[in-house]
This record gives sequence, structure tokens and C-alpha cells, in this order.
Amino acid sequence: MAADPTDLVHRAQQGDHAAFEVLYRQHAGRVYALCLRLTGDPVAAEERTQDAFVRAWERLGSFRGESAFASWLHRLTVNVVFAALRAGRRRALRVVATAEPDALEQPTEDTGGPAPALDLERAVAALPPGAREVFVLHDVEGYRHEEIAHLAGIAVGTSKAQLFRARRLLREALNR
Amino acid sequence: MMCPDREAELNAYLDGTLPAADQAAVDAHLAQCAECRAALAQLRAVMAGARTLPPSIAPPHDLWGAIARRIAQREARGRRRWWRERTFWAGALAAAATLLIAFGLYRGATTRLPEQRARPGWVAIEADYEQAAADLARTLAAERGRLRPETVALVERNLRLIDAAIQESRAALARDPGNAELGQLVAAAYRQKVELLRWATRVATAT
Repeated sequence: MAADPTDLVHRAQQGDHAAFEVLYRQHAGRVYALCLRLTGDPVAAEERTQDAFVRAWERLGSFRGESAFASWLHRLTVNVVFAALRAGRRRALRVVATAEPDALEQPTEDTGGPAPALDLERAVAALPPGAREVFVLHDVEGYRHEEIAHLAGIAVGTSKAQLFRARRLLREALNR
Repeated sequence: MMCPDREAELNAYLDGTLPAADQAAVDAHLAQCAECRAALAQLRAVMAGARTLPPSIAPPHDLWGAIARRIAQREARGRRRWWRERTFWAGALAAAATLLIAFGLYRGATTRLPEQRARPGWVAIEADYEQAAADLARTLAAERGRLRPETVALVERNLRLIDAAIQESRAALARDPGNAELGQLVAAAYRQKVELLRWATRVATAT
């Protein structure tokens, strides 16, 4: 039977490492996916995932349970990733784009249906940083432009412009 | 390829953020522009694809070991800092006690001098120290939640001791206003109070 998330969080808040490990096991995939898509770099994504869980451990005391733990952790992860991006760490390492340059060359039939997930995943990873982050937060994660602008420290208009640019680049990449 | 000047409009159309009055104009344009219709379908496919991406991707390596190590390191650092704080406050407490004892000895040993007028600069110096102490106390009050409870207790205990020393010194100075050494003793107690508050504020704001 799965452990009660509220009880796990409470135990972790009391310093229980084992409870926090269970929370890690439950949420690592979601956090890693977010980090991977925001950074476009598997190495950086692993580092940001670690950063996010270490930060979560340090800030557990501030989690009051008003939102779900998953939502709290998600927002904290976005903040961690943007803080690292702002610090300019590892921006040049975009392994997916450089290790698999042919990824975007695969022809995709224009059926008007959803873009195949793997092609889209690769195309998203190859987007320029500003456009990628806005696309991931808006179209994948469902954030509003106002929230993205606040998190990324950009204007709402810039967020919209980056989103339109990302969609255009993805459309072009998936139709090559 | 879509009409270049229609990109923002078509995106807003897809996001549902286009004003109702403009939607009919876009519909009319789409009805007669095959390229924009195709672009719109492709944009829809991209957006639909984004919504179907898997919400979870397993990390290629188990990261728990590294996370647990980093947490343990931070906790060890926190414990070291706590011991440093304890050591500091133990020293501060001893210093405050020494100050009180020194004052008691001084009062017992000094011979009363004839009544002299207080030095005019002393009032200003005392006001400066009181202002600095009040400012720091306000900052500390706002940040005290960031200090460990035992540290707060030690700070408060030290402050009570120093305040007692200040009060006693000032009472003695009031009785013997021309005594420069008593003035220096009050100033020393004030300095210690300001130093203590400054240290506690720095620790609290750096936490």
C-alpha cells in the first residue's frame, strides 16, 4: 500500500530521512522531466533534480500544506532551475541537441494530429533557451504568461514572443 | 508558410486570448488563406503534442545517494555552526558576568571625588549607543524567527545581564556625574550590547 503523502511530509519535516527518500522516489520522475525539458540537458537536469530535492529538504519547514506537496515541489523546482539558468551554469551543454544532430532531420508527416512525443521531445530540447523555457512552462506545464514572466524575470510580452517563436521553430522542425 | 504578420494573431486565436471582435476577421482570413490554415493545423499539432508528453521521466541514475550525501553535509555544517554559536554565547555570557563583577569591585574600591559637572559629550555618546542598540533590536526582532530557539534564549539572557550592568553604571554615574571612569564603564557596557546585537542580527540575516 502506498504511504500517506501527508504523513510522509510530516515525518520528513521532523527530520526523517527515510520518509524523505520515499517522497524522492514518488516525485523524482516528475521533477527530472521538468528539469530535463527546461534545461534541454540531461547532465544539468540531474544536477537541478538534486538541487531541487536538497532545497526541498531545507525548506520543508515552510511547507504548510495549503497546496499539494507535488505542486509545492514543482514550483520550487522551477525556481531552482531558473536560479541556475540565471547564474549561467552549464548553459552550453545541450547534450540532446549536440549528441543527436540527426534528431531533427527525421521527416514527420503533417497529419494535423499531435506531434509524436519522441520527435517533439527532441525538438523541444533543441530550442533556444529562452523559447524552450517558456514553451515548456506554458504549453507543457500549463503556466500562464504572467506566472512565467514572474518566474523568469521577463516581461509578459517577452514571454508571449518567446512562446510564438518556440511554436514556429517546433512547427518547422517537425515538418522538415 | 503562414502570412508573417499573422503569427501573433494566430497564436492568440489558438490560445483563446484573441478579442472576440478579432476572431471573425481571423476566421475570414483563414477561409481564403490555405497556408495559414495549414500553419494553424501544425501549431495545433505542436500544442496537442506538448499536452501529451509524459509528465514523468525516470532519471538515468538513482540520484538519492548524492542527495542524501548533500543533505548530510549540510546538516553537519548546521551542527558545527550551532556549536560555534554556543561557544560564542558562552563567551559573551562570561564577558557580561566579568563586566558586572568588575563594576562591583570598581564601585567598592573607588573613592568618591567631589561633585563635578558631567562632560557635555557624554549625553550625545549615550544617545548614539541607545539609537544603535534600538535599531539593531528592531532588526533582530523581525528576524528572530530564523535563529534557533536556544540561541534566542542565550541572546536574551546576555542582553538582560548587560542591561542590568548599564542600569547600575548609569545610576552610579548619576550619583557621581563627573567621574570619567564610570562614564567609560557605561560606554563599555553599551558597546558590548551593540556588538552582541550586531552579531545576532548578522547571524539571523545570514541564515
